[in-house]
Amino acid sequence: MRVNGEDREVAVDGADRLLDVLRDRLGLRGSKRACGMGECGACTVLVEGRPVMSCITLAARARDVETIEGVAETPEGLALREAFADAGAFQCGFCTPGQVVRGVALMRAGVPDDEAELRHEMSGNICRCTGYTAIVAALQSAARQVEEVRPA
Amino acid sequence: VTLRKRTRNLEWRERTTGAVTYVGDVQLPGMLVGKALRSPHPHAEIRSIDVSAAERLPGVHAVLTSADLPENKYPHEGAFADRYPLARDKVRFIGQEVAIVAAEDERTARAALEAIRVDYHVLPAVTTVDEAMAQGAVRIHERQSGSNLSMRITRSYGDVDAGRAATHASARASFRFNRQTHVCMETNGTVASWHEETGILELWTSTQSPYFVRKEVSAVLDLPRDSVIVRETAVGGGFGAKSKITDHEVLAAALSMRTRRPVRLVLDRAEEFATTKTRHDFRTDLEIGATADGLLTFRDARMVIDNGAYNHSGVSVTGASIGSMVSLYRTMGVAVDAQLIDTNKQPGGQFRGYGGPQVALPVEVLMDELADKLGLDPIDLRIRNAHHDGDVTHAGYELGTANLVECLERVREATDWDTKRAAGGTGRGIGVAVAMHVSGARTYPEANEGNASVAVDALGRATVRFGGSDAGTGQKQMLADIVQAETGVAAGMIEVLMMDTERSPVDLGAFSSRGTMISGHATRAAAQEAARRLRELAAHKLGVEPEQVVLAEGRAHVDKEPDAGITLGDLVASAGLDDDTLEVTETVTVKAEMVNYATGVANLSPAYSFTAHVAEVEVDQRTGKVTVLRYTAAHDSGTILNPTSFDGQVAGGVLMGLGAALGEELVYEGGRLVNPSYLTYGLRRAADAPEIVPIIVERADPEGPYGAKGIGEIGIDPVAPAIVNAVNHAVGVRITELPLTPDKVLTALRPPPSRRAYHLWRRPSRWWIALLRWSYPHGVHAVLHRVGTRFARKAPPVVVPTLHTPETVDEAVATLAATPGAAPLGGGTDLIPLGEQALRRPTAFVDLMAVRQLRTLRREPDGTVVIGGAVTLAELLGSPELAAFPAVEEAVRTIASSQVREMATVAGNLCQEKRCWFYRSGFDCYKRGGATCPCYAVTGDSRYQHAVIDGHRCQAVTPSDLATVLTALDAELEIASRSGSRRLPVASLYSGPGETVLRDGDVVVAVRVPPARGRTTVFRKLQLWEGDFAVASAAVSVHLAPDGTLGAPVVVLGALAPTPYRAHRVERALEGRRLEDAVIARAARAWVPGAHPLERNEWKVEAACGLLETTLEALR
Repeated sequence: MRVNGEDREVAVDGADRLLDVLRDRLGLRGSKRACGMGECGACTVLVEGRPVMSCITLAARARDVETIEGVAETPEGLALREAFADAGAFQCGFCTPGQVVRGVALMRAGVPDDEAELRHEMSGNICRCTGYTAIVAALQSAARQVEEVRPA
Repeated sequence: VTLRKRTRNLEWRERTTGAVTYVGDVQLPGMLVGKALRSPHPHAEIRSIDVSAAERLPGVHAVLTSADLPENKYPHEGAFADRYPLARDKVRFIGQEVAIVAAEDERTARAALEAIRVDYHVLPAVTTVDEAMAQGAVRIHERQSGSNLSMRITRSYGDVDAGRAATHASARASFRFNRQTHVCMETNGTVASWHEETGILELWTSTQSPYFVRKEVSAVLDLPRDSVIVRETAVGGGFGAKSKITDHEVLAAALSMRTRRPVRLVLDRAEEFATTKTRHDFRTDLEIGATADGLLTFRDARMVIDNGAYNHSGVSVTGASIGSMVSLYRTMGVAVDAQLIDTNKQPGGQFRGYGGPQVALPVEVLMDELADKLGLDPIDLRIRNAHHDGDVTHAGYELGTANLVECLERVREATDWDTKRAAGGTGRGIGVAVAMHVSGARTYPEANEGNASVAVDALGRATVRFGGSDAGTGQKQMLADIVQAETGVAAGMIEVLMMDTERSPVDLGAFSSRGTMISGHATRAAAQEAARRLRELAAHKLGVEPEQVVLAEGRAHVDKEPDAGITLGDLVASAGLDDDTLEVTETVTVKAEMVNYATGVANLSPAYSFTAHVAEVEVDQRTGKVTVLRYTAAHDSGTILNPTSFDGQVAGGVLMGLGAALGEELVYEGGRLVNPSYLTYGLRRAADAPEIVPIIVERADPEGPYGAKGIGEIGIDPVAPAIVNAVNHAVGVRITELPLTPDKVLTALRPPPSRRAYHLWRRPSRWWIALLRWSYPHGVHAVLHRVGTRFARKAPPVVVPTLHTPETVDEAVATLAATPGAAPLGGGTDLIPLGEQALRRPTAFVDLMAVRQLRTLRREPDGTVVIGGAVTLAELLGSPELAAFPAVEEAVRTIASSQVREMATVAGNLCQEKRCWFYRSGFDCYKRGGATCPCYAVTGDSRYQHAVIDGHRCQAVTPSDLATVLTALDAELEIASRSGSRRLPVASLYSGPGETVLRDGDVVVAVRVPPARGRTTVFRKLQLWEGDFAVASAAVSVHLAPDGTLGAPVVVLGALAPTPYRAHRVERALEGRRLEDAVIARAARAWVPGAHPLERNEWKVEAACGLLETTLEALR
């Protein structure tokens, strides 16, 4: 399995979930378990570049994985994390790694200008603290910022 | 010194990468997994527990029952304490802890639980307050009352008789605030580590109150208080759920003490929903009155509060709610009668608002009704009766500052209230509600006391030590801001150590909105004293007076000469202090009186916050769905120290309140929770949340640090009545039971027709189903539930499936045929959760996503679109091949979340299992358990995802939205099997709810969508929240002639029948006609005679008619 750009070897069976393998065997504990049923988004990682729920992903089927640890220092990841800090887009922080990973995927694909569309895309990531207002604002601001620094 | 600034949370780097350590992230060598065995019965005697088989399992280190623990109760609520950490003799709710195990890993721990044998003698259960209060009801506890009444308070405040005599107009109604749960993103959990040699118990626990944990765990386990040490962890949300010890700390500790190894016991999500404490369910009958001038004369409140199975905070929530009921407005007299009733359900507990939301609902809704009767504007009526600075309420609350009037004026202006209020009854509405809240209630003698220490070291760094915790409220940042402002230590040089009971001074923790008021006060005092001493040192060094010294940017200097000063580090280093550190610890006691349960009068809190909220809503009058367009919240919380935190507390509180107002509700059947999952508990997602506009109404309160008052809880208090009032303004119905789900709203707007509308007499085939439904409440359900379920099919064993990755369809078919117990695996978004739910556990997966051919999407020359079975839902969005079929995209957009759409496949979506919440949540129902078991939907809560047409013994429906739309598009499946390939219309795919005619070994190769040939198809869906399964859906496909005539219409209704329902009568009503209003109205109802709804889901018939009208209009 390629994890955050590094080849990692790990023996998995047909029951092992990607989230457990990342957290318990590869020591990547930034992804959080909040439901274990693919319903809340706290465990979101990128597999082959696409955001998925790692708690219901079979580890044996994941080839190229990017976790919060991998996206955190990328231009999008850093811009988004700073925007989260400035907007107050996290409180308890437990859903935040998943929000950031989902948000980074959205930034790479292009954050929608339409706020309703942005909210639609982010609705797989439940947050119980913020009321989402600040998360939406953070994504919009990070998208603008990355847009500004990106060479034409 | 002032603070008022937006600062980045000092932990932002770690919090945004998940690098902070939550309980689940704690790593200790040799750590075991702890799990609890829970009662399956709402009420039963425990005759015996046999743990021998569990103890013998390899990898099991301990199995404990109540006999292994000291005979001490949880010390909640003093004399009212009534619960042991593990059940003794009796269980009183489903989910109560009966035994605990510690094992090497999760799988072994689960196996150990299954190996424990408990002999229960099942007792009759009372699971509602009505049952519990009935004459002769079984008693849950041996209370002094001789009944299930835990406690009753009947009191009169002020002069109620005079108030009644002065009354010109009054309003009265009954209200119900259903149970809400916190849903902290991090579930409750503890890591315990017992050190036998020192007798020290270390705990890492997700708590708001480390010192409470220390006190209560040590008391329950007979340990000296100092031998229990709570360590710092990150806390993933609290909202009251973690403000005392809950039900895992003692259990993890006991397991660690027995095994002498660290033990982690963390609840899973279903346990979190079903066993942790909830917001108390209040039923309130309220009457209020006013003079002709609109001055409030009296309130008379009768409250019946569902305590659940044990006293946790029921007693104090009851007391607090009376305080709110009495104090909200100036009123001549207030009478209250509150009864706290035991029921066989998970207990109620502390929850943000603490009775405030349950009181605001009746008072604030009736204020609007009174305003109507008096011909007054609702805001004007509230302004006339608002408290002002210096008022003392009947409950003894001394309101120093009370800016409710200004809050009301600000929301009036910010929302253009007067204009919008003039335009009611249009489907759009605007409503107001207000609240007040304590800022740190003195519910314990020492609760008005705070301690903190501040140390500045020789490197110029500051360390704050503080015994509370920060579950996300921003308290850590706030303390750092205070220290920075007072001592001049630079922001990046301040560390805040919290929670650790060995290293920090006592603090009771974060509850009752006390964080800023009490901990902020203590930290300010310590920081001010440290600053005073720094100034003295600097004055000596610089040869000036202390008053001339400025502390800023990590330096001490004389005003206007920053370069001439000295760094704080050098200052401390040169002072000859112990450890080269200047350390100050301060205790602050704020003005507050101890709660008085005898009189119900005491000035509990040093200050009181106020707020006025305005909700703007839109009501879909065809489906009953309420959408909040905008929400404005003006708050008087004194001086706001950190506007970012203020905004976050308000928006978070408001959205949690909107959840309770519009969707969140714990649903029970026979005492068992029906909806213990994010999928079934209707909290708001990002797309369901409105724009929330917080407004600061600022005036310093003399009691607060820097003039601040509390903000953590009050944001949730007035939300529900603001919504009720806005909905009433929009459509003219006043709904008094929460949540305002579409069923309640639509039933109020469009009551279902007489049951004769459903032509049952014409359908003899349904007579026996009708008879069966009739018989259920007449004993049949009870017999099937009590006796039939004993013969229920056992859950399939937990297995580790082998994973096969074929490369071709033929190989997949061959592998499936050669591997007994194998199942085709698409995205796994249903199959893997089904394993967790013990519904399907294949011994092998055949990975269809590995088959390239199944992952292609192509358009054939004749216009047929061929969608491979393993194409993901995300791949259908925006695909050029499907451009001619926008209805497919319309449907896909409504399904689940973007992450699930990336994983889930087209064939998997079609073949997913039914979503009935009884079936999915562990009920031994007809489909899960077999023919001897009942369908729980017949008498239970069937409002959303059960059939209204053709329900049989099972009332579930096929959940796939693609099935609805693909049936309307006349699509076909291409199926491969060992006997060759075949075609099957999607319309013929289903044999029952989420059940297909596919045989073992079949592989769905593709879905073939025939060319549109000028046909237009639209899809619409009613869902409770963004991404939810359909409550009802409709797909209509027609040929629209240039003159607007409809040709060959196909109308398919989803989520209404066990399988997608082809509404032929609707089609006939449309054929050859144009889409005129009258045609639409008649056609949309044409299927109704064929319906056969359950009593509780009749509203869905009306909602589906409304949805169909909208769908047909979309064709225009």
